[in-house]
Amino acid sequence: MDGSVAQIPTSFGHELRACLRCRLVKAYYQFKESGCENCPFLEMAGDEEAVGSCTTANFSGIISIMDPGRSWAARWLRLGKFIPGVYTLAVSETLPDDYQVWEKKNKHFHTLNIHLIYD
Amino acid sequence: MVKCAIGHEREAAICLLQKFVDKGGELLIKSAIALDHLKGYIYLEAEKEAHVKEACKGLRNIYSMQVRIVPIKEMTDVLSVESKTVDLAPDSWVRMKTGIYKGDLAKVVYVDNVHQRVTVKLIPRVDLQAISNKLEGINVGKKKAFIPPPRLVKIEEARDLHIRVEGKRDRDTGEYMDVINGMHFKDGFLYKPVSTKSISIHSIQPTFDELEKFKTPGDEKDEDMSGLSTLFANRKKGHFMKGDAVIVVRGDLKNLKGWVEKVEEENVHIKTKIKDLPKTLALNEKELCKYFKPGDHVKVVSGVQEGATGMVVKVEGHVLIILSDTTKEDIRVFADNVVESSEVTSGITRIGDYELHDLVLLDNMSFGVIIRVESEGFQVLKGIPERPEVVLVKLREIKSKIERRVNAQDRNMNVVSTKDVVRVVEGPCKGKQGPVQHIHRGILFIYDRHHLEHAGYICVRARSCSVVGGSTGKDKNGANLLTTRSDGLRASPNILQSPRRVPRGPQMEFGGRNRGGKGQDSLVGRTIKIRLGPFKGYRGRVTEVKDQTVRVELDSQMKIVTVKRDEISDAAATGTPFRETPRYGLGSETPMHPSRTPMHPYMTPMRDPRATPIHDGMRTPMRDRAWNPYAPMSPPRDNWEDGNPASWGVSPRYQPETPAARPYEALTPGSGWANTPGGSYSDADTPRDSGSAYANAPSPYVPSTPGGQPMTPSSSYLPGTPGGQPMTPGNVGLDVMSPAIAGDGDGNWLMPDILVSVQRAGEESHIGVIKDVLMDGSCRVAIGSSSHGETVLALPAEVDVIPPKKNDKIKIMSGSLRGSTGKLIGVDGSDGIVKVDDTLDVKILDMVLLAKLAT
Repeated sequence: MDGSVAQIPTSFGHELRACLRCRLVKAYYQFKESGCENCPFLEMAGDEEAVGSCTTANFSGIISIMDPGRSWAARWLRLGKFIPGVYTLAVSETLPDDYQVWEKKNKHFHTLNIHLIYD
Repeated sequence: MVKCAIGHEREAAICLLQKFVDKGGELLIKSAIALDHLKGYIYLEAEKEAHVKEACKGLRNIYSMQVRIVPIKEMTDVLSVESKTVDLAPDSWVRMKTGIYKGDLAKVVYVDNVHQRVTVKLIPRVDLQAISNKLEGINVGKKKAFIPPPRLVKIEEARDLHIRVEGKRDRDTGEYMDVINGMHFKDGFLYKPVSTKSISIHSIQPTFDELEKFKTPGDEKDEDMSGLSTLFANRKKGHFMKGDAVIVVRGDLKNLKGWVEKVEEENVHIKTKIKDLPKTLALNEKELCKYFKPGDHVKVVSGVQEGATGMVVKVEGHVLIILSDTTKEDIRVFADNVVESSEVTSGITRIGDYELHDLVLLDNMSFGVIIRVESEGFQVLKGIPERPEVVLVKLREIKSKIERRVNAQDRNMNVVSTKDVVRVVEGPCKGKQGPVQHIHRGILFIYDRHHLEHAGYICVRARSCSVVGGSTGKDKNGANLLTTRSDGLRASPNILQSPRRVPRGPQMEFGGRNRGGKGQDSLVGRTIKIRLGPFKGYRGRVTEVKDQTVRVELDSQMKIVTVKRDEISDAAATGTPFRETPRYGLGSETPMHPSRTPMHPYMTPMRDPRATPIHDGMRTPMRDRAWNPYAPMSPPRDNWEDGNPASWGVSPRYQPETPAARPYEALTPGSGWANTPGGSYSDADTPRDSGSAYANAPSPYVPSTPGGQPMTPSSSYLPGTPGGQPMTPGNVGLDVMSPAIAGDGDGNWLMPDILVSVQRAGEESHIGVIKDVLMDGSCRVAIGSSSHGETVLALPAEVDVIPPKKNDKIKIMSGSLRGSTGKLIGVDGSDGIVKVDDTLDVKILDMVLLAKLAT
């Protein structure tokens, strides 16, 4: 572990949003200021519109992952390769199509939102 | 799993991460999980319990005293939380929870998750006039309780009312809006920003009507899909069943078709035709939608159309168009609300007392035929001949069923009665043809099978139709030779008989009878016996013949019933006419004797095929008078034979008609009876009369004192007999048949503990239980069927006994068993089979004498 940790959400209320790709949870303005640590290619930093479309407030349950590589829960949730931080257990939306295409092109595509039943 | 402060689960988990960051590698837990639905607990993942305790130390939100270890088996369950929240995505349907739009359907157009607000599209309930008044400074006065009906707003209207309309680009959606008084409109819809809390997202079942209203040209496609997301959220459990054909509507396997193999909780295992795929695929039920092909026969299992069956004629996305079996109309339903079924049901065809195709009175001015029964109301085709008008009415909006049998005249002055086939000769429905189902106020409701609208019903003025097969030209005798009895009578007032008695065999021509060419058949006038059905065993005279049915005037009851033609058989003894055409001259008593001799063969009870019970009602008092009124009646035949025929003609009391006769005799004002005392008796004095008297004699409610002393229960049935004539058993039997008479009773047949309905002027009727019958006949009724309600004093005229149904506990109101209780074990026509509680005897009693016992 390189010691880098995602920003820790500064609030616990409705301002929390989850990245639609990696499910990292931060406050809205944190995304706006520094984007998502796991998915820099979404270029959310400073782009309010991108933040709006790549994150959602619609998620349920959070998990603080301190040691993703060794946490059973993190690996179960396919969060094992991300940096430590607060994530959500499930989001109910998917990335907008145009972002997904972009992702594929850049070979970053992970089918994150496959339901657990496929496992 | 550790306890934490309720409401601070997320905070606790985040604090743990913060602590981890602050302390570097010291914190040995691996993750902390806070579930939304689990209040007061968070999960910590660590290798040792001690690590958990260490981590929790110093955090004020976490109470680390109790640490429980999650069994390995349950660990996956902790993490497999599927997001339950319905995403409040644009285009989903919601309902308003508050304000004047409460309950209205709305469509989400924009969601602002950050501020927890959504913009919804509504059908405005805006009163532009009120706004205009307000803007112009006219004081509208106090706040109006009235909520304007939903209606699209036309900007031009607003301009007409000099309301300032601003054009503005919406910040959120970027669309151009018209702003009136702070409200945003586009295409007539109101766009209203609301809090997510003020709308309900779950279980929204937009009806088609509502969806139709929201439809604007051009976005029909979207409509379908947007409905989908909401629809899935509202599915009931156990939605899919093994064998259902399904189609995948979401995800990678979209458009894959298959059959349901197994359903477990939310996952549906489906089998597909495609070879390369594994045997069964497990899919979430949210990804599936039922799939039907045109031609499938289906049943609607939920929604407004619930219960209807039909054939799928078209599939539009997840909306099916079904040709209903009942109404032959197209209905649109969601595929989700439908199951495949070979069942052909009529759907629900009745609510309360009203059934499909009933003629009902809506208010004093309008009436109509129920053409469709929905789960909450009826569609009624109103009786307006010029244009078909269908209204949706609720059960309480229907006043009553119209069941009167009336006739109308067509354009050729032929009489139209129900079931006659008529052709529409003018108006918008010209050319249509079909049997008349209902007649009311000169308006016919015709059922034309080929008419696809309104369940095949057409509403036309009788004058715009012509009876198929009716005479077209105005017959010279037309005025006299009308088809109905009443007309026949009116046309020939000098005929002394009531026309009822006339149509017997060869006397058909008497009384100016002409049945208008329809239903004329060799069978008409014949005496038959009913072989099957509820009237099995009854004899009667055929009055009319339709293609498959005949109308039979029963000998033993004042009733004309319709029976199937193959359910009758010719009575063995078709009586020959036994008397000559009655004439005035016949009045003398001498000729009576010969005519009476042949009566005897017909005197066996119920045997006289031509007996019309009405006469009996008229006759009996006289006979009584002739005999000793107090003599026991038991062998009536003897009395008859002993009776001095001479006395028949002389008693002046013959003249008044008994009320029993009235309902039928009303058409014969001052006919033979009154005009020709004595003389007219000769023809009244027919064997049938006596015959039916006999028929009644054995009936069980004949009181033992035939004189009809006031104390005998039967006397109450004849309160209206002029001159207080003592009554004969026969009379009782007859009067009982006529509820009108029973209702006229002075009320002394009412008894405590029976269920009645109290109908007071200007009030609704209430069900109640008689607590007490007072001396004057009025009674104290406890409202409510349980006899605990409020007690009211009701006059006998306001009280109606509730007729019991099979298996009800009953109380006998009249006869020797008056006061006894029992159980109604069966109903046969107008007779009830009663098991009397005390004696356990089984008695056959007239239903009118039975009242439902309050329990």
